[in-house]
Amino acid sequence: MKKPFKLLIIDDAEEILIALENFFKNLNYEVTAASTGLDGLKQIEDESACFDLIITDLVLPNISGVAIISIAKQKFPDTPVIAITGWGEHPESLAKEAKADFVLEKPFKLPELEQLVENLLNK
Amino acid sequence: MSNKSKPNTGPPIIGVSKDMQRVRELIEHVADTGLNIVVFGESGVGKEVVAQNLYQQSPRSGKPFIKINCAALPEGLLESELFGYERGAFTGAEQKKKGKFQLAHSGVLLLDEIGDMSLPLQAKLLHVLQSGGEFSPLGSEKEVKSDTWVIAATNHDLKKDIDEGKFREDLYYRLNIIKIHVSPLRGRPEDIPPLIDFYIKEYTAMLQNRHIEKPSVKVIDQLCAYSWPGNVRELQNILKRILVLGDSSEVMNELFESERGTSNNKVTASIQGHHASLDGLLDLDGKNSPDNESFSLKNAKQEAVEMVEREIISHVLAKTDWNRSKASKILKISYKTLLYKISDLKIVPPQK
Ligand SMILES: Nc1ncnc2c1ncn2[C@@H]1O[C@H](COP(=O)(O)OP(=O)(O)OP(=O)(O)O)[C@@H](O)[C@H]1O
Ligand SMILES: [Mg+2]
Repeated sequence: MKKPFKLLIIDDAEEILIALENFFKNLNYEVTAASTGLDGLKQIEDESACFDLIITDLVLPNISGVAIISIAKQKFPDTPVIAITGWGEHPESLAKEAKADFVLEKPFKLPELEQLVENLLNK
Repeated sequence: MSNKSKPNTGPPIIGVSKDMQRVRELIEHVADTGLNIVVFGESGVGKEVVAQNLYQQSPRSGKPFIKINCAALPEGLLESELFGYERGAFTGAEQKKKGKFQLAHSGVLLLDEIGDMSLPLQAKLLHVLQSGGEFSPLGSEKEVKSDTWVIAATNHDLKKDIDEGKFREDLYYRLNIIKIHVSPLRGRPEDIPPLIDFYIKEYTAMLQNRHIEKPSVKVIDQLCAYSWPGNVRELQNILKRILVLGDSSEVMNELFESERGTSNNKVTASIQGHHASLDGLLDLDGKNSPDNESFSLKNAKQEAVEMVEREIISHVLAKTDWNRSKASKILKISYKTLLYKISDLKIVPPQK
């Protein structure tokens, strides 16, 4: 069996976080879920983690998704990052500036996100 | 605790509460990122202490740390202080002068009271941040580039300021990449005893170890129950007074009297405000005489604004049958702000 891809998912909305976590677990991804920016940052800083891809909400308390993207891209420039955001929220342009690989607007369909993840991982 | 083993971590952030632990943890994790940060919190809670810790725990420690208070200067002066000017840029500009942005190059610029910055200057600041630190000093054609880490501090609710059109949303998001909230002291009374211990030690050292009596358990309990509108700075002042007088009873009486006083005043002010009319406000020989303790232009302005807001919001609410979502759209403020204003201005629905 080939090794499962490791995902880090950060969202402060519990129902979304759980839905995303379950969705990707069912697809045989190895998922780490974080409900705050600080938690997510700690996961990224953990040397043993080595995520294959990061999905983060943009508006988070304390450490925003934009910060997560900047920090992740600085440490691991090759790890793709997908930002998810509510429609028309300002940080979208900031996410692109921070070099997010894709900004996905809410609401989106889970298969759409799955396709995106697959594409980025197979690049 | 010795500071020798851990040099340059910044002035100590005392406190055992969850909130303070969280603040220290956040600082540790973000100090080396160089990302824009806003520190939120009431006056005297320790926003500047947080900023200094960020700086000293960052790779920029040892480089300049420049602070500017955006509330203390009029717009034009603030602009020239921030960005500098060329000789002859305006009358009185006899020498060219470097701005704080440039002086903070390779270090940190703390923009204190950012919520008080005027909208035109906010636009200019946004531009500088967007361009990665480029700007031209007043009266100069040339662009200067500076690598400056911007940390902002404010006691405003900037979201509310945005709704009210006083703060730019795009600037808010650009500054607020990381947010550190320092909670008011009244919400974390468990931090008060360690703060007292810390300051007693500090003041003892300052007074060349002249023996200082620590406040009694009873006094400490009382201090923990007080509401501390001026937060840690007020606690420092009270402790100093207790230590200087060598007796706490007088200080404590005053403290709790002032607390009762302010809460009474607030009630009377808001009741007056409720019935206030423009006539009443302008009755300068009578009700609103400048001889009154409560008289000030600021108070009068606030009351006038509240009066007008109350009238207009009540009118729109009546028109929309108290459909607050509709009303907020007509008023062009957010739903949350409307709810806040309804309770703040004590607007009540009509009795059916
Ligand atoms: N947690 C703390 N530990 C030790 N000292 C503190 C702490 N919090 C605040 N202080 C002290 O309290 C005083 C006020 O703090 P500071 O100037 O940082 O507040 P501020 O939030 O910037 O206030 P303002 O809004 O008035 O500018 C300072 O002398 C500071 O050293
Ligand atoms: Mg301050």
